[in-house]
Amino acid sequence: MPDGTAEPNAPARPRKKLHFRPWMRALHRDIGYFSVGLTIVYATSGLAVNHLKDWDPNFKQVSRTHQLTAPLPTDDAAAAKSTLQMLGVLEEPREVYRASDTQLDVVFDKRTFHIDTTSGVVHEEGQAARPLLRMANWLHLNRGKKAWTYVADFYAVFLLFLAISGLFMIPGKKGLLGRGAVVLLLGAAVPIAYVLLSGGP
Amino acid sequence: MTYPNPDLEKALARRRFIQGAGAGTVVLALGGVYVLSDELTRDAQAQTRSDGRPRLPPGQRVIQALRPMGGEPGDPSPSAYRLRVYGEVDAPFELTFAELLALPQVEQAQDVHCVTTWSVLGAKFKGVRVADLAERAKLKKSARYLIFEAAHGYTSNIALRDALKPTVMVAHQLNGAPLPRAHGAPVRAIAPDFYFWKSAKWLTGLRFSNHDEPGYWETRGYNNHADPWREERYA
Repeated sequence: MPDGTAEPNAPARPRKKLHFRPWMRALHRDIGYFSVGLTIVYATSGLAVNHLKDWDPNFKQVSRTHQLTAPLPTDDAAAAKSTLQMLGVLEEPREVYRASDTQLDVVFDKRTFHIDTTSGVVHEEGQAARPLLRMANWLHLNRGKKAWTYVADFYAVFLLFLAISGLFMIPGKKGLLGRGAVVLLLGAAVPIAYVLLSGGP
Repeated sequence: MTYPNPDLEKALARRRFIQGAGAGTVVLALGGVYVLSDELTRDAQAQTRSDGRPRLPPGQRVIQALRPMGGEPGDPSPSAYRLRVYGEVDAPFELTFAELLALPQVEQAQDVHCVTTWSVLGAKFKGVRVADLAERAKLKKSARYLIFEAAHGYTSNIALRDALKPTVMVAHQLNGAPLPRAHGAPVRAIAPDFYFWKSAKWLTGLRFSNHDEPGYWETRGYNNHADPWREERYA
């Protein structure tokens, strides 16, 4: 167009289609499905660990005191046996340990009986695991194992992909050029506002 | 609202009363707990330690008993227990649980401050002073830090000058009873003037080091020094 204007009857140039969207949608979908399990693990554990000061998400605590008829037999094994009989415990102990002249410990997998052999006072204490939460927290907090770090890194990369690909999923007014941008800015404003208002680290 | 059946109306009115009374009781009870607890906090805020610092560090609230706060438990077996004292020392050694109990014991009431903002005042711990263990191990002049080592690779670190204070100990009793599993049985560290994550549960070793080694939480965004009076919670 030498004069810089369109010819009045020229056909509209076909809009160039963005071919990356179908691929991105497919990847977004599959990675999304793949990440559901890990998201549940991390989100559940995150909620549980956020409120650690209010409860123990890993274990239920057991703590009781019993008063037995003293004195107990002087032989450790006999004292332990007699104690367990009086308390109606049928489980076999893992060990019987003479901790001091007056203290005998009877240890089970999930609880210990600390017996004062002179007074007959028995402190029973232990923990019963909350299996699913304990497992989730163990993974989330990445305690004592290196291999899980790689899984967690992949998961983090997947989440980044889901977040970024999600930006471009929907074209038009509800996408990044319209309402999507507003919601995106609102979401980004939450951490920014928190840091500004709280004074930051 | 009225109901055609007066018996039904009466039953529903009674149910509403019981629900209201129940809800009121819960609110009052919770309010009572809150008020009582706040009283403990106010009392503590009014007190001063012998070193001149307020008894309650800023941002803390007093509760009545230690909370477990999680962690991956170690082996609670006293017969399998070993405490290794080593590193920058001339005479490293290892103690069984019975040997630890046979050493000179101290019982001290200590205030405990958790980074999650609760504090417990006057928790009684019994055990052996770290300073006594360090003396037996014959510290080298190069020792600068103490690394508490615990089950499953957990560690925490404090400077040697702090570790040798008489309040820092290796404890096996809490409030007159053997240390519960949830609090690190059979043995845990107690470093009371720091946020409580420094006081490693399920303690397995005292390693003296010539350099600082930030531990489990210190490498996960928590403060390396962890002084509650400076609110050194995060890095």
